[in-house]
Amino acid sequence: MASFFESLLNWLRGLFFKTEMELTLVGLQNSGKTTLVNVIASGQFSEDMIPTVGFNMRKVTKGNVTMKLWDIGGQPRFRSMWERYCRGVNAIVFVIDAADHDKLDAARTELRNLLDKPQLANIPVLVLGNKNDLPGALTVEQIIEVMNLKQIASREVSCYSISAKNQVNIDITLQWLTKKGKGK
Amino acid sequence: MSFSKRDEDSGRIGYHHYFDKTTVLQEARVFNESPINARKCRALLTKILYLISLGETFGTTEATELFFSVTKLFQSKDSALRQMVYLVIKELSTVAEDVIMVTSSLMKDMQPTSEVMYRANAIRVLRKITDASMLQGLERFLKAAIVDKNAKVSSAALVSSYHLYAIAREVVKRWANEAQEAINAKPQSVVSAASSYVTSFGNAPQAYTAVSNSNIVQYHALGLLYAIRQKDRMAVSKLVQNYAAKSGLSGSVLRSPFAQCLLVRYACKVMEEDPSSTRAVYELLEGWLRHKSEMVNLEAAKAICEMKDATVKELFPAVTTLQNFLSSGKPSIKFAAIRALNKLAMSQPAAVAPCNIDMENMITDQNRSISTFAITTLLKTGNEASVERLMKQISGFMSEITDESKVLVVEAVGSLCIKFPAKHHVMLSFLSGALRDDGGYDFKRAVVEAIFNFVKYIPESKEAALSHLCEIIEDCEYSKLSVKILHLLGVEGPKCPQPTKYIRYIYNRVILENAVVRGAAVSALAKFGVNVEDEAVKQSVKVLLSRCLDDADDEVRDRATMYLNVIKSGDEKGYVKDDSTYALAYLERQLLNYVSNPELADTPFDLSTVPKISRQEEQESRGPLEQAGAIQSLGGRISPPHSGTASNGAGARPAASTTPSLDQQAVYAQKLAEVPEFASFGPLFKSTAKPVELTESETEYVVSCVKHVFAQHIVFQFNIKNTLNDSVLEDVNVLMTPDNDEVSLVEKVLIPAPQLVYDVPGIAYVAFERTVLEDYPECTFTNELKFIVKDCDPQTGEPDEEGFEDDYQVEEVSLAIADFVLPSYIPSFNKAWEDLGIDYEVVETLALTTSPGLQEACRDLIALLGMQALENSGTVQGSNVHTMILSGIFIGGAQVLARCRMTYDSATGVTLQLAIRSTNGEVSQILIGAIA
Repeated sequence: MASFFESLLNWLRGLFFKTEMELTLVGLQNSGKTTLVNVIASGQFSEDMIPTVGFNMRKVTKGNVTMKLWDIGGQPRFRSMWERYCRGVNAIVFVIDAADHDKLDAARTELRNLLDKPQLANIPVLVLGNKNDLPGALTVEQIIEVMNLKQIASREVSCYSISAKNQVNIDITLQWLTKKGKGK
Repeated sequence: MSFSKRDEDSGRIGYHHYFDKTTVLQEARVFNESPINARKCRALLTKILYLISLGETFGTTEATELFFSVTKLFQSKDSALRQMVYLVIKELSTVAEDVIMVTSSLMKDMQPTSEVMYRANAIRVLRKITDASMLQGLERFLKAAIVDKNAKVSSAALVSSYHLYAIAREVVKRWANEAQEAINAKPQSVVSAASSYVTSFGNAPQAYTAVSNSNIVQYHALGLLYAIRQKDRMAVSKLVQNYAAKSGLSGSVLRSPFAQCLLVRYACKVMEEDPSSTRAVYELLEGWLRHKSEMVNLEAAKAICEMKDATVKELFPAVTTLQNFLSSGKPSIKFAAIRALNKLAMSQPAAVAPCNIDMENMITDQNRSISTFAITTLLKTGNEASVERLMKQISGFMSEITDESKVLVVEAVGSLCIKFPAKHHVMLSFLSGALRDDGGYDFKRAVVEAIFNFVKYIPESKEAALSHLCEIIEDCEYSKLSVKILHLLGVEGPKCPQPTKYIRYIYNRVILENAVVRGAAVSALAKFGVNVEDEAVKQSVKVLLSRCLDDADDEVRDRATMYLNVIKSGDEKGYVKDDSTYALAYLERQLLNYVSNPELADTPFDLSTVPKISRQEEQESRGPLEQAGAIQSLGGRISPPHSGTASNGAGARPAASTTPSLDQQAVYAQKLAEVPEFASFGPLFKSTAKPVELTESETEYVVSCVKHVFAQHIVFQFNIKNTLNDSVLEDVNVLMTPDNDEVSLVEKVLIPAPQLVYDVPGIAYVAFERTVLEDYPECTFTNELKFIVKDCDPQTGEPDEEGFEDDYQVEEVSLAIADFVLPSYIPSFNKAWEDLGIDYEVVETLALTTSPGLQEACRDLIALLGMQALENSGTVQGSNVHTMILSGIFIGGAQVLARCRMTYDSATGVTLQLAIRSTNGEVSQILIGAIA
């Protein structure tokens, strides 16, 4: 995998000298946003996390791409503030807990509310179904179905099923994200 | 533009000239730029702080927008920028919404892995943005930060905890152990340097380092410990003992002098709350006088000086310490010492006298604040001979000192006049000289008040003082002062041998001044017209007043017209000579009640239920402090002479207690108004002045009772205190049984005291309704407390689950006619007596067998009737015959007057002829019944 990365980054380096990009991670509480950021930043997974009160900000450099990750708390009291941190970013990452079926409805509503904001028009969205290592986790197709992703027009939407714990599909996620930086 | 206006008074410099709030808010876009330009952002943040410091306010939306833009800056690693971010968030935290958003970021910054500068500041910001609900999550980190090795972090955490204590007492309480640990922590070695809060612009933070060995952590930690324990008297006293004991000469735990000073203050608190500890605390304080830090010495000396009724011997060590400081090279130390001595000199001039020589030298001190204090202290401690010399010295530098210091000097001179009346001419000329100096209103007012004191207390200086006052109004720029002086001239002038002298000055005001002063001058003139016996003077005043009828101002014309008519009709007593006024606190309360009650809107306000008091009493109640101050500076040598005439001295002694009780009543009324059950009872008519003690003061439960009388209801308020620290009482009811079953009272409301913990008084109420409105029951109640007792741990106050019922008998309370009568002052008894006529007069002759003398008889009568003695008749003037006149208002508003003619004969005792007149025949009967 490392060699894959290296070649990818080398290729990027060939095209651009240095890229900086901004990403915002949102999603309901306990969907794994902060964990995901940690995994991306340091490759470390920790079971024992406390809820994010407010936001965390991490800078991650992969090769010559520097990603600023705004990881916003998912508790209801912070949801109204997602929009502020999504304005003008290169991409919005919406993380859902694919194994928690009860909260999917809420997740769908929150995503719709967020994307309806005129300020956020045209910003690409990546929906990540996290925790696919757990039994009962939805597949990509199911997520697309449940989250009504097909209905979203006028912006780029992608969806992956990942596991931050087992580092499944983190690489393609990163690839997608860095491409957004390049696309600008 | 508002901006340029502010500019004038703040006198700021060029660079900031071209921005205001709007441009700053616009520029806030730089916060969202990527990558961040740290220098630009920092400059903008500085501008925001600068605007806030100028008093610029941000609206909620503006502040919130700004706050969220600023949060974006957390991505920057620039530490100087981060500091500004912290500061701005602190300022915005009170206005902006959702500031809780930065919690996570701050928590990250306060982790031990961050730089010290981040950690300490993050903690301080965190406490600004957090609330009680979040604190649980932060507790672990804050606890760890309190005991952090680094002083900056520890201090920040302690101070934050101190502030958080106000919003989350229970959580912070658990941090006491950590605070204690912070006090006891070993000092940091001098080498271990803590990086300073302020890093230089752009440099790496470690470039600036400062050595910290101030041990300020101890100060903060001790403050927090005290805050946590302050409610618990025992714990505070233990705290003081603990740290005072260890602060021996070797290895004292409290290395910080600031912390020591705090300890001194806490020790004083202990002494205040527990007088039995005075001895022990005094010894501690005396020990601190020898502490190696001057700060601690001063604090201890001040504490000793402020001790209540300390003897000269006890004061001696403190005064000696302060005396040594007087020759200190540091102006601040000198200043502190002289100020403490000055304060002490007010109450104990003799104790300060040994420092006189040192203070003489300080009169010429370059620092004017010090010399002012030195001179005012000397004025208090000096003897009569030195006064003249001192006055000369003061006049020398009066023009060089600030207004506040001038006020101090003038006040000192003012109280001096009472001490050395013989020197009044020197002081008067000093004061009038001072008036010619430049000075603001406060200063001039102080001078005028001082001269008023002369008029009041030193009869022989009266004329000189009055003529000085006349001169002042000739050229006075403050209308308020002119009005004051004119009023005094009106009161005192007519009593002087040559009243005409003043009339000229007063009339000059009518010609030359503005309307306010003219009005006051007309009133003053009228007083001359009424009070001066000389017909010629009366005639000229009339002429002068009629000239005022053409005045341009309505008020002045009206006054002139009124006074002219008063003088012509001869009805002077009712207006000009009337020296009564309403009990203002009571009147205010009645008016408030009237305004807030919509049902009363249709009926006019009933002024007759408001008791009247004389001017003298009103003044006494208004300025008890002032009075106390004046008396105190008298040193107990001279009692203020009663200024002359009968009307002025009316009812002076016994009446003095009514006014404060009316204020007390206002407090009760407010408390009762908070009880919803009593809302329907209407306005409060009367509360008993002093609570009646129903137990001895050293019993398990101390109970006292206050009676509140309403139009149709009577509320008994029982103040109950539990003096057992190992039990808690719950659901405390008072069972009241009248001794007479036929009494027309029905128990309406019973409000128990829910819980009585040790030493915290609680209140239980019992309310009765008078079922027959015309019946004013007299009866005695036996009282019994019924409650549930639970044992509890004396330390924690945690009660056991199980309790048992118990009761406790207390003494009786009785209801008497006096409870339905409100004492009230009237200016002229004879006139009112004649006006009431004999229609409802009741006269009865009685032998007072229980009273051994006339004075006792007066006292008993006042107590039985609940009325107010008028014209000083409450005090017996020696002979065997005495007439006491009384006035009051019966419940419902009927006026009642009583005339008690008494004779005393050693064989038969006191014989009384009691005559009562009222606007209502029944009322007269009822009151006679109270005696018979």
